[in-house]
Amino acid sequence: MSLDAIKRPPNVQIGSNTVITGDHAFRRFRSRVDPALTIGADCTMDGVHFAIEGNGRVTIGDFCYFTNAVLLCELELQIGNYVVIGWNATIADSDFHPLAPAERIIDAIACSPLASGRARPPIASKPVIIEDDVWIGPNATILKGVRIGSGAFIEAGALVTRNVPAGARVFGNPAQISDAAGPR
Amino acid sequence: MTPDRKLPWDWYPGTIPENVSIDETAWVETSFSFLFYRSLAATGVRVGRGSSTYIGTMFDVGREGKVTVGDYTLVNGARIICDAEIEIGDYGLISWNVVLMDSYRLSSDAATRRRELEAVARRSPRILEGDSSPRPIHIGRNVWIGFDSCVLPGVTIGEGSIIGARSVVFEDVPPFTVVAGNPARVIKKLDPEVIKDDRP
Repeated sequence: MSLDAIKRPPNVQIGSNTVITGDHAFRRFRSRVDPALTIGADCTMDGVHFAIEGNGRVTIGDFCYFTNAVLLCELELQIGNYVVIGWNATIADSDFHPLAPAERIIDAIACSPLASGRARPPIASKPVIIEDDVWIGPNATILKGVRIGSGAFIEAGALVTRNVPAGARVFGNPAQISDAAGPR
Repeated sequence: MTPDRKLPWDWYPGTIPENVSIDETAWVETSFSFLFYRSLAATGVRVGRGSSTYIGTMFDVGREGKVTVGDYTLVNGARIICDAEIEIGDYGLISWNVVLMDSYRLSSDAATRRRELEAVARRSPRILEGDSSPRPIHIGRNVWIGFDSCVLPGVTIGEGSIIGARSVVFEDVPPFTVVAGNPARVIKKLDPEVIKDDRP
């Protein structure tokens, strides 16, 4: 946090009193959309990785506090107001590679330094939506297409593959809703 | 440590805070581990004889937090989030990307949390502090915690136990027990063999 604020790409818009720290924030920022990243006012983005691919778009509301979160975006991440994301949590809106084995061979070749511009096959991506007042714990993972309802509490280390209703508390891998049988 | 509390081998231009006690035989790789340290306790962090803390370790210790690392304990890279007390016993092995947290740092009530986040945004630096109701973590001697694991507020881990990689520990772990998974569950018991305490 005592590290100096870093330079940001031109297609990033941030609101007043928002602070971005850490020298790797935009190391994997490749989006050509404008704006690709919109952050509201009064946010603290400490050591966050904004790994936003060519067509990716990320919007973040006001009064959010992220610590070393990893945001991996091919398509869209929508994050509301007063969202807290703990250390080393990952949010991804894509599988990043095809599921079918034959398609994956094509993709592996396209990703190789020998590909010379060969196109990659289509890859499944689906926006992730995180509503207001959500708390996401350290080491948690949120995967593609998930919507987390307002005020939900994602326990440390949880791996979330399905939608979480507003106000729910989830934990575990795969994440399950906490009830009398669950921890606490 | 030099008289002005620098580490001669350090790559980071920081110092070891005054209320941190590091045994002269212990090895702390970098003062960067104290970037988020703000404890006002008489001794906010104590590192015991022959112990070592490596580069990924962060003592994210709040104003009233106290962290104790016992003797001959290896902390490879833990995020230690402490607002009350975290105690790691002797002969501990703590792997990389481990989270030990005795506090959620903010209220569990959304309306209260909004006010807390508004207060954080007015602070410089942006320290995360609120109504956290911390609950101490006690890790007994000879405990091994595998990489990427999380130990949550209020947990006690008994002597000699093993926490498998990527576990999330919600409940107390009895002595000489292997747990793994998320949430962590008991896998098996270990032989509570007593060895001679043959310390250098």
